[in-house]
Formats: sequence, structure tokens, C-alpha cells
Amino acid sequence: MSGSIRTSGAAFGSAPDATSDAAASAIGCHGISVRFGDFTALSNVSLDLQTGTTLALIGPNGAGKTTLLNALSGRLALAGGRVTLRGRDITAEPIHRRARLGLGRSFQIINIFPEMTVLENLRLAAQPMAFELQPFWRSVRAWPQLEDRAREVAALVGLDDALDLPAAVLSHGRQRAVELGLALMSDPPVLLLDEPLAGVGQSEIQGTTALIERVRKGRTVLLVEHNMDVVMQVSDEVVVMMAGEILTRGTPDAVRCDERVRRAYLGGTEMREVTHA
Amino acid sequence: MTETADKPAAPRRLALATVDLRFTMALAVLFGGVAFTVRDDGIAYMLSLIMVWAIFAIGYDLAFGTAGILSFGHAAYFGLGAYGATWAMLRFGLPFSVGLVVAAAFGGLTGIVVALIGRRVTGLYFSLLTLMLAELVSIVMLTRLRDLSGGVDGIAGIPRPSFMAIDFFANGNFVWIVLGLFVAVILGVAVLRRSPLGQAFQGLRQNPVRLEQLGLNLGRLRLAAMGISGAVSGLSGALLASLMMYASPQLLSWKLSGDVLIMTLLGGSGTLLGPILGVAFFEVLKEVLAAYTDHWYGVLGVIFIVGTIFMPKGLAGVVLRRWRRA
Repeated sequence: MSGSIRTSGAAFGSAPDATSDAAASAIGCHGISVRFGDFTALSNVSLDLQTGTTLALIGPNGAGKTTLLNALSGRLALAGGRVTLRGRDITAEPIHRRARLGLGRSFQIINIFPEMTVLENLRLAAQPMAFELQPFWRSVRAWPQLEDRAREVAALVGLDDALDLPAAVLSHGRQRAVELGLALMSDPPVLLLDEPLAGVGQSEIQGTTALIERVRKGRTVLLVEHNMDVVMQVSDEVVVMMAGEILTRGTPDAVRCDERVRRAYLGGTEMREVTHA
Repeated sequence: MTETADKPAAPRRLALATVDLRFTMALAVLFGGVAFTVRDDGIAYMLSLIMVWAIFAIGYDLAFGTAGILSFGHAAYFGLGAYGATWAMLRFGLPFSVGLVVAAAFGGLTGIVVALIGRRVTGLYFSLLTLMLAELVSIVMLTRLRDLSGGVDGIAGIPRPSFMAIDFFANGNFVWIVLGLFVAVILGVAVLRRSPLGQAFQGLRQNPVRLEQLGLNLGRLRLAAMGISGAVSGLSGALLASLMMYASPQLLSWKLSGDVLIMTLLGGSGTLLGPILGVAFFEVLKEVLAAYTDHWYGVLGVIFIVGTIFMPKGLAGVVLRRWRRA
């Protein structure tokens, strides 16, 4: 059992892939389909994200946005197609392997460790990158790098004053910050964010948006979000999904003016109004 | 980050794990104190019995209260541990210490095999699988492997250790060996629970979806939890066989798997203190109730139901909550 730890820099740093050929595509799927019984949730979807860009995924409820995220992160079995991560075919890789290969993810429903403190939450999230097999013979405090990294990320997501509080007692907005912090602990070069603003109060939206802005620098981000103001602000490109297929893809402005997109959203109503979570 | 003066002065709260360990060690000292002062054979036997069962419950709770794996089949690891030690000592003439190692290996390997067989199922399906496999072991031992298990009669004359001419067949002496192992298991499990692996176990219980997304292999974690939990259970089985100087397929019975779950829940899962309190409560109450009625198990059942309703975190939850502020 290897007790060696590879924290500082190398493991946590988001060094770009050595394969320069793949530098273009950070994450992509090629003709993937997902079926639930008779229902086709994703039908022959292909999508490629260029390294370093932020792409927002929008569309009405049930369009397949979260399903696509689940397919990319490995939570769902594909009925067909391939998924690639930084030039590597990961279609057959399980969730935890994809995570170790540099795919981070936050969830729409808050997924944290409720009984642990914020510090314990983040420290646990640092462990997979630090150890191949988790050591059992010493307290986790024997590896101060884990805690240092946890404090670093806590400061980034604005939780440095809540380190010793159990995650369960935090406000919804701050639990969101924990959720995001967990996804950031390994400093993943590719990040999937599933509605990071869901349930976040009006007063906290600006702060969270600023946080997403900070987080997306130097990373490839696929963002599912309903709040169009935020989408327009943080994304380089927007993809509109509809009934398990990709309707269109373009710059935020181009998509906003697209007639088909307007029709997709409640028969032509201003998209701005459809900002419910 | 620098310490700022305007930080809100939160009341100093001791970590639950710290209070838990202190209480548990105090209990061990109490057991030792009683054994030392009372010097009664019956009391020593009762103390040993409680500590052996407590080791079993602590081992069980590694899977249940720590890693969140509900098992209905821990009697298999317990009983096979007892038989492993019995065979090592009686058939191969190996010393007591080696018998304990064999017992832990038997229990641990059985736990790993069960986890491997059930690697595709989780939750209640896995729980039912543990029950099924444990019953299989029990039935096979009782019927096909009668020569090895002693059948319904069991195997009598299981030795106790011999060391420096001390008579460990006297319960007053044997209790110290049990106490030593009891303390060793508590300290070992306390370290494990705080270790990276222990933290991952807790994550597995609290949120497996998130844990997997962080890059941890859940299957491997379940294997480790079942292996370690099985090993501790096997060790306790060997100690019980040695304490009673007798092993029988009854040690593999599903009733034992149920008892250890009830004790752990009653005492409070997820702590060290809980399983010990649960066992002590269960054993003492059994002694008291059995003196009055043959239906003591039914009365215990009622107490268990009332206990889980009014003390969802068990006896330890009540005790630890009160003492957490220091």
C-alpha cells in the first residue's frame, strides 16, 4: 500500500494534456444515445468543448441537459456513441476513473457530506488525488497537505469562516459553495456544473456568479444553467438542447436572437423571462 | 489566512470522536477496576462476555455505522473466526495467539468473499445477500461439514492461552487478556476511523454518489470495510469460543447476526461507545429478565422498539450529547 502523497503542484495543477493533438478537445461526446425504457433521453448527440472555453447548456426542462452531464461523467450507460476526455476514449471508464482523469462535477441537487464539517468535507475530497489506496494506520491529520489544500479551496469559495461548522447547518447558498468546493478540490481541468445557482437566493447570485467566473479561468467548463443573465455573462458559447437533441450552438448573442430558440421556449416568449430554476 | 480578532467566539466544542474515545477508555478502565477489586469468577466471566461481544459489535459497526453497510450475516464471520481458532489450536496444536490471527483471517476473508459475491448489488439487496450467504455457511457447517464443526454437539475443550504458568482457565485471569484485546481493538478502530480510509468509509455512508464522483472506487472501499469488519468479528468469535471453551454451529446462527445489529442500534451506531453500551445493556438485561420470565427475548424486543423511537442515536447519543461541551 503506497503511502506516498503527490499533492503540491503536479497532481492538483491543471497541466494541459501532453498530447498536443488533443489540445483542441477537452471533453466531447460523439453520437451518444441514452434510453430509459422506450423513452429516448438523448438521441445521437455530439458535442465538443475546446480546451479553456466555457459552454453553457440551456433548454427547457426535460431537454436532456442533466442526462448529458450524467452520460459524460459516467453515471449512465450509453445506448451508443463514445465519450472522450482530453483526447482519450473514456466510454468504458467508470465514474471514479473519469474523476481521476480530470473530470470534476457539481450536482444540481446538493451532494455533500452532511455530518462532516466543511473542513472534513473538503479534506475528504482531497484524498482520492493524494492516495492510490487510502491509508488506515494514521490519523488523516498526519498529512497536512490535505488540510492546506482544503483551506485554500475554502478561501476560494468563500467558506474560510465556516470550516468547523457541520455542512448540514449551513444555508442553502453556502452548501452550494461546499458543493462547488468539493468539485474543485482536485483542480480538475474539465468541470461540469449542473445548475450551480439552483436554490441560491437573490442576494447570493452575484457572489456565486463571480465565483463561477473565477473558477472557469484556465479550465474547460460545461455549465447547465437556467439563469440567462448568468449564462450570457460567463459563457463563451451556448448550446440549446431540446427533446434529447442539440437544437443549435453559437455565441450567447447569436443564440439569444435565434428564432428557433425563441420558439422552443414557450412559443416565442422572451428567454429572459424563463429564468425559473 | 491569519487569525482575526473579530472572529465570533463559538463555544468550544470537542470533536465527537474525542469525547467518544474518552468515554470508551473510561469504560475500559472501569471494567478493569471492577475485575481488579471484585475478584469474583462469575463477575469476571460476565465482564469478559460483555467485552467479547463489544469487540464483535464494534467490528460490526465498522461496516454498519461507519461505512453504512447493513449486514444481516455477521454471524458467519464471527462463527468462522471461532472455528478457525478452534481448528488451529485443537487440530494443529498452534498457540492461542496464532489461533487469534487465524480467526481474524477467517473472518476477514469471509467478509471479503461476501463483498466480492455481492459487488454488483448495494443497499438492502446486499443486506439480504449477506443473510443468505451466512445461512448457507451455517447450514453447510451443520450438515456437510459435521466432522469439522462437531455438528449440533459442537466442539468442547477449546483451550485458553498458556503463558508463564498463569492459570488462564481461571476467569479472573483470562479477563485481563480479553481486556487487553478490547483496548487494542478500541484504539485500532479509533485510529482507523480518523484515518483517510476511515474518512472515506464515512463518506461512503453519508453520500456514495459524491464520493464516487470525487474519484474513489466504491467497490474497493466496500471490500475493505467488509474485510476489516469481518476480521474484528472473527477475532471476537475466537475469544468467545475460548471464553466458553466451546464452539458450535450456533455461533453461526442468524440470531447472532440479529443480536449484534440490535445491540449496536440500541447503544448507538457510528460511535465506539454505542456498541459497548448496547452490549452491556443487552447482556445485563438478559441476565435480569431471564430470572423472571422465559419470554425475556420478547421483553427485549419491546425495549428495543421503544429505545429506537425515543433514542434514535442510541444510549451513546444521549450520553455523548450531554458531555460534548467542555
